[in-house]
Amino acid sequence: MRWSFILNIIGMLIIFLGICMIFPLFFGLYFKDQSIIPLAQSMGITIGSGLSLVICFRRTKVEHISHREGMAIVAIGWTAIGFFGAFPFYLGPEFSTFVDAFFESVSGFTTTGSSILTNIEAVSKGLLFWRSFIQWLGGMGIIVLSVAILPFLGVGGMQLYKAEVPSPVPDKLKPRIRDTATVLWKVYALITLAQVFLLMMGGMDFYDALNHAFTTMPTGGFSTKNTSVAHFDSVYFDTVIIIFMLLAGINFSLHYQFLRGKPLAFWRDSECRFFLGSVLILIVIVTFNIYGTVYETIGQAFRYGAFQVVSIVTTTGYASADYELWPSMSQLILLLCMFLGASAGSTGGGMKCLRVMLALKYCYKELFSLIHPRAVKHIKIGGVPVHEDVIRSVLGFMGLYVGLFAFSSVLIASMGVDLVTSVASVAATIGNIGPGLGMVGPTDNFAQMPYLGKWVLIWCMLLGRLEIYTVIILFVPEFWRK
Amino acid sequence: MKVIIVGAGEVGFHIASHLARENKNVVVIDKDPAAIRRVSDNIDVQVVIGSGSSPVVLKEAGIKEAEILLAVTDSDDTNLGACLVSNLISPATKKLCRIRYADYDEYHEALRENAPHIDTIINPEIEVVKKIFRLMSVPGAVEVNDFADGRVVFIGIYLDEFAKLSGVRLSDIYAKTGKQSPLIAAVVRDEELIIPRGNHKLKAGDLIYFISEKEKLIESLSIFDKNVEPIGRVMIVGGGSIGFRLASLLEKNSISTKIIEKNPDRCTELAEKLNKAVVLHGDGSDQELLREENIQDMDVVVTLTNDEETNILTSLLAKRMGASKVITKVSKFSYIPLISMIGLEQVVSPRLSAINTILQHIRVGKVLAAKSIIDEQAEVMEAVALETSEIVGKPIREISIPKGALVTGIMRKDTVIIPTGESVIEPNDRIIIFAKKQAIPEIEKILAVKLEFF
Repeated sequence: MRWSFILNIIGMLIIFLGICMIFPLFFGLYFKDQSIIPLAQSMGITIGSGLSLVICFRRTKVEHISHREGMAIVAIGWTAIGFFGAFPFYLGPEFSTFVDAFFESVSGFTTTGSSILTNIEAVSKGLLFWRSFIQWLGGMGIIVLSVAILPFLGVGGMQLYKAEVPSPVPDKLKPRIRDTATVLWKVYALITLAQVFLLMMGGMDFYDALNHAFTTMPTGGFSTKNTSVAHFDSVYFDTVIIIFMLLAGINFSLHYQFLRGKPLAFWRDSECRFFLGSVLILIVIVTFNIYGTVYETIGQAFRYGAFQVVSIVTTTGYASADYELWPSMSQLILLLCMFLGASAGSTGGGMKCLRVMLALKYCYKELFSLIHPRAVKHIKIGGVPVHEDVIRSVLGFMGLYVGLFAFSSVLIASMGVDLVTSVASVAATIGNIGPGLGMVGPTDNFAQMPYLGKWVLIWCMLLGRLEIYTVIILFVPEFWRK
Repeated sequence: MKVIIVGAGEVGFHIASHLARENKNVVVIDKDPAAIRRVSDNIDVQVVIGSGSSPVVLKEAGIKEAEILLAVTDSDDTNLGACLVSNLISPATKKLCRIRYADYDEYHEALRENAPHIDTIINPEIEVVKKIFRLMSVPGAVEVNDFADGRVVFIGIYLDEFAKLSGVRLSDIYAKTGKQSPLIAAVVRDEELIIPRGNHKLKAGDLIYFISEKEKLIESLSIFDKNVEPIGRVMIVGGGSIGFRLASLLEKNSISTKIIEKNPDRCTELAEKLNKAVVLHGDGSDQELLREENIQDMDVVVTLTNDEETNILTSLLAKRMGASKVITKVSKFSYIPLISMIGLEQVVSPRLSAINTILQHIRVGKVLAAKSIIDEQAEVMEAVALETSEIVGKPIREISIPKGALVTGIMRKDTVIIPTGESVIEPNDRIIIFAKKQAIPEIEKILAVKLEFF
């Protein structure tokens, strides 16, 4: 581990983050609100800290980043980015303690969408834009973005990319990592732009459309309204947002293939079929469950049911209705959806469909071999056999995921939080969804969580976003041995 | 530029990393997931698992957009198949095929000329034999590369401790020796590559790279206190295909050759095929055998067994027992930097040779030869100066040659010019450029045709 090298790169990332603060500053200046001073101050602090890191740890010529260093840069880098991203919140009038600001910032970057704010609409426009913008940066990955546009990472970009965008079966769209990162960001930006356009077509103003597109595409879920999407109460907006949440939950390499003129790409991919299929089935179940009990017409039941299922499965976390008023079966389904998550290679969180699929196939294989003890059977995805190692790492991942979920919810419960809230708040943060159930339901927020509980949830959000291994590895003693 | 490499073995791996460092788009195909993982973990390239001769796999790898296909697996059949199939899918792609099996030797020309799906045959073994032969002819050289059809040589030698040039500035060489110094392109000191200026002081232990006309080579070498002596007796340890090829070449040049081989069947075979060479059955690391066969009188001992460690140890042994010159075959790249540290200066590597052959085909512009030297830290290229290239028609001083690069020779028809700042490159001159690896993309740019001509 070459620490000075690692800190140097992190310094560069922080400078990059500081430069990004210019965009909310534009909005602040345009609306002439009170966010100008906190944003300008944070920009100074961030760029200054980044610069001093870069200067203190000047780089000796290094071409290669090892696997271990890649993980350390990403894990520590994300924590640092969350930390500096919190300054605009902390220096503004809305956040009283630093932990609240830090929570909001990490919730943004990890595209969780859990908020501390009680009255969102009262917050200045510049700051609200920053809140949406960090979700957009975090969605496709701020390090992937820097690999794409900053030349300094060079060859090492690959290790960083792998640590930030972990995927059970890695796929590279282009021979060079920089080109891959650029392509992904272009696709991401393009779809975001399409959504802004469609939202404005429905009569949303540019500011709200931009903010909502910036939080839909990364499956983030921050809204500029107190009542989230329910504020607009429009079938058109609900439909547009459902479609774009689904798009964001699909592997981005499929979007790329689609744009390259392969219209069947989505259908050919077995994970995508699984994802869309399960979403459909869940929508039908929830719709019938809430039809008659909560909503009087089937149309309404479908509209709210579909929106909420898609919002939770893709780990976005928008609310168009208060699902806490729904029957407990629907609530439980939504809670379980938090674990399923979106596709691998998408901006969504959770355990990811591909992993769940592999685990299900593995279970079936076990049962199959009980019946045919001598059968030779491979687990296949899309007709291609999956390597043993991949299965093993997927099962390991799921074990860790559930284990850490259990551990963290016990921690939260130990602080005197009720059962439903403890379980739901951890499920909602580790899966990067946003709202949970109980005290942290769609109409509530995380402000009442105990002080230490917030730290636990911050840690859960980072775990979830970087898919466990990259973060947890820092806590394995072996990692630090020379 | 997109390059597809079939085969993630040692050659494929190193070509891939060499090209990835130059920011080329590389796709590597191999059927072994472990080999593929090694590639994808270490190099910034795209990987595809599958057989390189499968049309489906080649299509997936994007053969249609590829400019070059390198078929470099260990299996000749796969390589030939890969080229054949690629030609069906994408005729425009340039296809290079590695062929190792000696039975194909007679057909290389025919394959190149008549088989439409192969553009070039790469045979590392033939290249290695050529290299060994060149190394034999220049005493003390660690690197000998021919350019301009052998009229110009690029040589790397170590400066001995008592050499008269030790401690002399480059600009003072003439005063010291009374002879015109050859153009010194680079000096390697403490593993650092320096492009020296006139006031650079040479030191004992420096590895000096210089360029010289073939005719003046003996004179040039004498400046560095190296004297060319004719080679009379050679001992080869290891009678594999390289050993056999070398022995036949030496036979042709009437050099007395002894060849030691462990496997008795192979010995019989060698004895059948070779006429004058003495075939000895035995272990090359057997001191008794070496002494019996008068190793101390050998001009050159070449160790060519398939086992790296045996080669290294046998070479050390031969050196200790008095062989005046030892050439060692080492395939593992990671060993090469260590070899000079233990006193074995002359090393050949079939894989490195294969890479060198491949490089010249990958270079943009009209590049006739490209050799990677000093652990791939630099390259020497021979290229035709195109009329439309920006290097033509003005003094070298005024050309914006990238930092870390040097024009070291100009060949105009039959004359060889060792350039100064005032020399002018004319269209269709052949030029030899020495470039550090950082400068290579720039060099490719200036060698290529100027854009406005399109």
